[in-house]
Amino acid sequence: MHPSNFAHWSLTTARDLTLEAARDAANVRNKTSTKMLPSGQLKKLLDSRSERDVLEGLRRVVTMSYRQPPSQTLPFFSHVIKNIASPSLQVKKLVYIYLLQHAEHEPDTALLSINTIQRSLTDQNPQLRALALRVMSGIRVPVISQIVSLGIKRGAGDMSPYVRKAAALAIPKCYSLDPNTEPQLLESLSTLLGDKQFFVAGAAVAAFLEMCQNRLDLIHPHYRSLVRKLADMDEWGQLATLRLMVTYGRKCFPRRTRKIRKPMDKDTSTKQKSTKGFYDEESDSEESEEPEYEEIAVLDPDLELLLNACKLLLQSRNSAVVIAVARTYLYLGTPTYMSLAIGPLNSLLRTSGDIQHVALYNIVQVCLLYPQSFVNHYTHFLVRSTDPPHIWRLKLELLTLIFPHAPPRLQSLVLAELSHFSHSGSLDPGLVKEAVRAIGRCSQTTDPKTSARCLRLLLTHIGSADAHLVAESLEVIRHLIQRDPDNHRTTVVRLAKHLDAATSPQARASIIWLVGEFAGLDSENNIAADVLRILVKGFADEAEPAKLQIVLLAAKVYVHHLNANPPPEPAKPEEAPQPSPSLMDDFHEEGGFRDAPEPAPAPTAPQPKEKPHPIVALWDYIILLSRYDTSYDLRDRARVYKALLATPTSTQLANLLLLAPKPVPQTPSPSETRKGYALGSASLVIGDEGGIGGLRGYEDVPKWVKEGSEPDPALRDEAVSTSTSAYDAGGPRALSAAERLDAATGAGARSGSGSPVTSLHENGVGARGGAVGGPRKEEKTLDQWLEEESEEETESEEEETEEEESEYETESEEEGEGDRLVK
Amino acid sequence: MSSIEALYIFDEHNTPLLEQTYTGRPPSGSTLLPLYLAHAAPRPSLVYLPNTNPPTLLYSIIQDQLLFLCPSSNDTDPLQILEFLHRVTDALEDFLGGPLLASKIESHYDVVAQLLGEMVDGGVVSCTEPNALKDVVDAPNFMKTLLGGVGLPSATPSSLAPSNTPFSLGNRPSPRLGPSGGAGAATSSPVPWRRANVRHTSNEMYVDIVETLHVTLSPSGRPLAALANGMIAFTAKISGVPDLMLQLGCPGGIANAVSLPTFHPCVRLNRWKDRPGELSFVPPDGRFTLAGYEVDLLGSAALDSFSTTTPTNAAPKLNIPATVSVLTSLGPTGSDFEVRLQLNPRFKGKASSPLPSSTSSFGGRGGLGKGLGSTAFGGSASTGTTAAPAMDGMVIHIPLPTSVKNVVELKSGRGSGEAVFQPAESRVRWAINSREIATLMANDRGTGAGVLTTLRGTVVGHDNYDDGDAPDTSLSLSSNTYDYDDDPSSHQSSTSAAPTKPRDEGNASKKNKVLMPSCATVSFTVKGWLPSGIKVESLNVDQKKSKGLGAGVQPYKGVKYLCVSRKGVETRC
Repeated sequence: MHPSNFAHWSLTTARDLTLEAARDAANVRNKTSTKMLPSGQLKKLLDSRSERDVLEGLRRVVTMSYRQPPSQTLPFFSHVIKNIASPSLQVKKLVYIYLLQHAEHEPDTALLSINTIQRSLTDQNPQLRALALRVMSGIRVPVISQIVSLGIKRGAGDMSPYVRKAAALAIPKCYSLDPNTEPQLLESLSTLLGDKQFFVAGAAVAAFLEMCQNRLDLIHPHYRSLVRKLADMDEWGQLATLRLMVTYGRKCFPRRTRKIRKPMDKDTSTKQKSTKGFYDEESDSEESEEPEYEEIAVLDPDLELLLNACKLLLQSRNSAVVIAVARTYLYLGTPTYMSLAIGPLNSLLRTSGDIQHVALYNIVQVCLLYPQSFVNHYTHFLVRSTDPPHIWRLKLELLTLIFPHAPPRLQSLVLAELSHFSHSGSLDPGLVKEAVRAIGRCSQTTDPKTSARCLRLLLTHIGSADAHLVAESLEVIRHLIQRDPDNHRTTVVRLAKHLDAATSPQARASIIWLVGEFAGLDSENNIAADVLRILVKGFADEAEPAKLQIVLLAAKVYVHHLNANPPPEPAKPEEAPQPSPSLMDDFHEEGGFRDAPEPAPAPTAPQPKEKPHPIVALWDYIILLSRYDTSYDLRDRARVYKALLATPTSTQLANLLLLAPKPVPQTPSPSETRKGYALGSASLVIGDEGGIGGLRGYEDVPKWVKEGSEPDPALRDEAVSTSTSAYDAGGPRALSAAERLDAATGAGARSGSGSPVTSLHENGVGARGGAVGGPRKEEKTLDQWLEEESEEETESEEEETEEEESEYETESEEEGEGDRLVK
Repeated sequence: MSSIEALYIFDEHNTPLLEQTYTGRPPSGSTLLPLYLAHAAPRPSLVYLPNTNPPTLLYSIIQDQLLFLCPSSNDTDPLQILEFLHRVTDALEDFLGGPLLASKIESHYDVVAQLLGEMVDGGVVSCTEPNALKDVVDAPNFMKTLLGGVGLPSATPSSLAPSNTPFSLGNRPSPRLGPSGGAGAATSSPVPWRRANVRHTSNEMYVDIVETLHVTLSPSGRPLAALANGMIAFTAKISGVPDLMLQLGCPGGIANAVSLPTFHPCVRLNRWKDRPGELSFVPPDGRFTLAGYEVDLLGSAALDSFSTTTPTNAAPKLNIPATVSVLTSLGPTGSDFEVRLQLNPRFKGKASSPLPSSTSSFGGRGGLGKGLGSTAFGGSASTGTTAAPAMDGMVIHIPLPTSVKNVVELKSGRGSGEAVFQPAESRVRWAINSREIATLMANDRGTGAGVLTTLRGTVVGHDNYDDGDAPDTSLSLSSNTYDYDDDPSSHQSSTSAAPTKPRDEGNASKKNKVLMPSCATVSFTVKGWLPSGIKVESLNVDQKKSKGLGAGVQPYKGVKYLCVSRKGVETRC
């Protein structure tokens, strides 16, 4: 539940709004206009000795800067900057705001203020220090990058977490200002990533993502502490961390399907669909006892730590966090974990419309993979009359996605629902169209009974007075029939019966086409000729699309007739294959240049004496009628067919053209096109409109790392976390990994991966953590100790949580997150 | 992944109100606005603009008629930005007071600027917690504007605590530099979502539980889906750092009723997991959403009742204050429709309560005096108590196809409100005020079967069926229409009866069928009643864990229940 609902829950709000708006519109508008002072007076205010006047002046300048282009407020630059040394925090803040807005226009004057700001970095008030750091890094003047980087370094070691957070957020700003500062920044960043304060670590992760997403080697030592802090971070920190962890998990935890090295991986197994990573692994590993698809995913204990830590976030009030957890589970976890996220995903549909829209795209994406999990949540997907188009489109899709997996009762409910919208949709033609298409998709199930039901449902629409409905229904029926022609002969007969009823030309055309398609089947008992006979009577009154189809139907019927009863001229059978192309050429020429009255009698010529066969007669009649039609398109087509069938003895070409097997139309779910995009990305919402391969900055989830090429798990042991010297910016990762391993063995803290004693992984973690706890404390730097002392309040609480953590490590993981509340 | 590049705010006339650039060089608001407005009317919250430089993703929300735009040139998590925009509006509302108005922003640019500066740092969202923001930004204050805002800026005591107590009451008289100056204490507030050093002269806490109904009824009156989305809004005005315990109860057990809860970060999740219904938390100061949940009013077995064998009366019983049913294609040419409103006799109109009180927001609170502790929350005799829930604001909307030109002869039953056809929205709006509801209820007091009132109307289409040469369209392909209950006696059979009529009439009714409404929605509010039956059992301050609240101080407690339906009860036809 989003707090924005606050605004709506009170029913008196709407009235308040109008009343207040009316009142305010009356007076405040002109009040602000009178507020505009002449610049001279404003300057006088800014130069005043009275703090009150200065503040007033600054307020006005800030107001101006929002209402007018910067050229209007720039003249005050020096007057404003002069006040930067003011002891008043109020004044300072406003000066900073002005400075951030205008520094780029006057870099030289802005430089004058740097000194004062730098002095504020050592102010007693931590808020001021943080503010100064933020402003200094925000002034985009490249000359000062070294000063900023120094300030960040100092800020990273500040005793106030507030300042440390500002330092973390300043890192990417400084980096974009001057990439040369990278080594120093990375050093500060790695300190901050290990920060004990939750919101500092969160900000550091955000900075990391911003600046150097690929330096995952910086994360290794902090991985476990970040995961443990996850539940306590603020929502934005959680988002950044989860984003990082998906990449990290894919790159550092190979998807193992059976335990190979680690004895502790025993009880973490769950069923797992085969993935790409699985196949990679398969090619490497030599043997597998089980059949391929019954493989069992073995999760790395560290990965499991992350997946379990995410569980608590599923109840977050922030919809983005819920999606981020779903994303983590989808790309790192197993279906068991994914099923945990299904409910919370649906809970996003309670939120306001804008969030609901984006959430629905993500739900559809998950639903494409795990449709059966959503069946029980169907009530969320029922379309409401108040839903805007972009919402009901997705809801209808969801209904069709769960349809094949639903129990029969739910299936009838969904069908009733869809037919309701197809009937009532005269409110919105788009809804009719989508609902009918949805019925079509529902009918693609394997169950023939259901398929038949859908078809019957669609057939009821044909007689409707709503042209949209009829046209769309027939379109879908056509698709259905084409997909399985053999079972639908009777359907075509029924359709043909309703030619009388169907009024829309498109609908009639569709039916006639279908009859034509089936003209060849079951030649003894075919209705095509009869349908043609009836249609010919009313030919003149038909609309053009129907006429076109009637001519086509006539041609088809005629071809079938010729094929069934070859004309009694066996004289030139050997010529038949050869002349057809030449015939074609001829008729292109002739048809092009003259009206060709001669070929007309040609088909009838062989049997002029006896009474022609009715089909032949029909064909001649149609050709004659269409020859004098007003539509040139119709005339042209008729001429083509006529030419094509001019020689009754050679029908090969006509067969090719008229009776070619039609490709079976496929109607995948509309969101199938977006299937490739990662959950929780904007590309998923925009789709291919944003360009193939996603929008700018879109990053697909990385592939699973291959077994053997992942970084050593010992890197994540926290014993090594204190040595910051290992962060050589240029050092290749493999080397540093080896170094670290050496360091770890040297320190004697290596107990986890190598120790055969710890068989259960939880205990393994516990033992590791316990062994690690000691040396970590010892190796703290003096600064960190000092910092701890000065922050007794917060630190003591963290001690508490740490105790809890050690408790949980021996007990179970879930309780480990402990009280989320820091008392 | 620098996400928040800029924030633009426009007022209801789309004149720019504020432009704040955070990072990069996003296109300006004046270029983005026309592109945004060029999109078709129900504009999605995320619009892709490929023609700007660089191609821009434009996020937007509309709050209180103000338009908030946020451009982004990179692919980021869309929900992150949308949530952020919502937080911005929340924070602005918190500081400037809701509803958000252009004039409020205009007269407090300095505060808004500080807020926006604190919330985003270099494109990264840094702090959106209203309490934390209050620690660093001064809220505009009546006193301050009166005094010109400065005076003794570095020595004013905490004048910004909402209680406006000039002297700090606590045992630690910290000379703070104003709320913004005392950052040493403030920023290290041990609870990230709570302000440091909260002081209130009168300690009060209020629980408001609001449930929004989303009910869909089939033409036969059978509920297809019935969800109540609940929200627990909490208002805490308590000194110090209180540790609260809210106990919820429900007839069938809270764990069975409530599903998919979401919580404010302050709620201890493990406590809820162990003992559902117990919310243990340290609240932020002021008003916040404590939790959200949903209740499936039909229960999990609802689907089983959709069988053809069960008789209709075995349908799940749904106890909601009002339902409608719509009958269409009535009259000789099938151009009439009838809407029947069924009112549940349990809910009275307002006038029937002893005190015709005003719509004060405190009207429905059962007083919970000091020391009442965990005893039941009393039903004091004001409107909309749990004993006599009051129904208000009954409005029925009947959306009609756009091809309907007019609705004539709109007649509602005697004394049951007023119905008008609104061509712009192409719908019929039928409003019944609470007094009329009360009268209706009074007439029916004896029977107890509820009150039925009807509205009848005749639709007139744009083309008044003058082209009679259309072929006969009366056709019924298969009598087996997939109705919701396969019940042949349901009203759909009226359409299949159409072919038996003479040709002209059948034709006309066929045409008019397209003009018929397809659903009707009911909106109302009920004070003092929740569809889920959830109750607040107790609300206690844990004296041991709390800090800063004087010993023996019992805060005033208030509880309010509200059930809202915003077109939430929808009946198909």
